[in-house]
Amino acid sequence: MALAGLGLTIYVIFHMLGNLQVFEGPHAFNSYAAFLRDMPILLWTARIGLLSIVVLHIVLATQVSLHNHRARPIGYAIHRYRQASFASRTMMVSGMVLLLFIVFHLLHLTAEVIGSPTSDRVDAEGYRDVYGKVILAFQNPLVVALYLVGQLGLGLHLSHAVSSSLQTLGLEHAALDRLFKAAGPAIALLVVLGNVGIILAVFLGIVRP
Amino acid sequence: MKFTLKIWRQNGPAERGRLVTYEAQDVTPGMSFLEMLDGVNQRLIGNGEEPVAFEQDCREGICGSCSLVIDGIPHGPDRGITTCQLYMRRFPDGATITIEPWRAKAFPIIKDLVVDRSALDRIMQAGGYISVNTGGAVDGNVLLIGKDQAETAMDAASCIGCGACVAACKNASAALFVAAKVSHFAILPQGKPERTHRVSAMLEAMDREGFGSCGNQYECEAVCPKSISVRFIANLNREYLRAGIVEAGLPGEPESPHAESV
Ligand code: SF4
Ligand code: FES
Repeated sequence: MALAGLGLTIYVIFHMLGNLQVFEGPHAFNSYAAFLRDMPILLWTARIGLLSIVVLHIVLATQVSLHNHRARPIGYAIHRYRQASFASRTMMVSGMVLLLFIVFHLLHLTAEVIGSPTSDRVDAEGYRDVYGKVILAFQNPLVVALYLVGQLGLGLHLSHAVSSSLQTLGLEHAALDRLFKAAGPAIALLVVLGNVGIILAVFLGIVRP
Repeated sequence: MKFTLKIWRQNGPAERGRLVTYEAQDVTPGMSFLEMLDGVNQRLIGNGEEPVAFEQDCREGICGSCSLVIDGIPHGPDRGITTCQLYMRRFPDGATITIEPWRAKAFPIIKDLVVDRSALDRIMQAGGYISVNTGGAVDGNVLLIGKDQAETAMDAASCIGCGACVAACKNASAALFVAAKVSHFAILPQGKPERTHRVSAMLEAMDREGFGSCGNQYECEAVCPKSISVRFIANLNREYLRAGIVEAGLPGEPESPHAESV
């Protein structure tokens, strides 16, 4: 579960970094999209790989939670946490928010089942106009709100997940302890800031068609 | 001082339990938590009622048998101590205090606040030992051990097996206990012969006993009366990875011949 989760984290980081190219204007963004689509074999290998990692991660998480749930059949009348972070206590909830969001996101921007399909549009240089599609999508306040909720789930999930995975893999050292502990929240903040930056920049009209 | 206590009463393992309210009177601030309970029990016995069963032995924080969840925290509100080291001056006069037993599938309730923690012993039997030759004792200082190593091993060895880590864990995992035991042996030369077998055997035993798995929330560390660090859990995970590699037959230290016989 830890390895699968770390794999997904790396993907999420690159996903965010790639999308930051929206700030470089339509040309850069559309050619980036075209560049990804130009290698169908690689694209589909990556997609299938990602999907299997996601499925693996969810199956393992479900198994572990059921097992853990069975370990305490009768709960406490009063139970107080001392140092467990809010994020660590809500991993299941944030995970589910994230899953729902990913499904929505794929239906929305990848498969274009939700919203008006725009994939047939091309830009001035003959590339598919993904840039225009993104701009159009994030002008809808409802979509923006849903994406922000998704990012909240992502941020919460990552902020516990990354440091937790490092511990599970046994990565720990007196000198690096603080670095590892900070890794989760730092990566979560970075990814969420990047993503939210894109969404809000479009919504507020800083990035325009 | 006076307190209102809500204590978990349960007649036997299969019975249904419930929280019963009692008054603790004539408590002095210098009384330990267990002495306060002794007072309550005296009154119950005087009234012909069944006293509250709770476990205790040394009353000085070394045996690990006193095991109460006090207001939702194993061993109560102070850090780094056992229930028997907790004093009543820690509570405001007139407070209501809820007292529950350790709760985990692996720790079935025997009576009231007493749980059966032999699951931890069975984990120890699975791998928490070293091989020692019979005959004369080895001379002191024959095996030189670095100070850092010795101290780290001692930190791990200070686990008294109380099970508070399990009680505090949302998953009722015994990871901190197993980590302390595995690390303590793995760090010292005496523990090396069984090193590979030990970690897998103890983790398997932990699963078998019905403990959950570690979610890295670190509640265990916060309630451990010996303040054992969760860094030992990372060490446990490393030992487990290493065992996986060694057991798969890849290069590693040769396995001890004794491992076969266990
Ligand atoms: S690790 Fe700490 S809390 Fe757990 S059994 Fe040992 S002494 Fe008790
Ligand atoms: S009675 Fe021995 S540790 Fe509390």
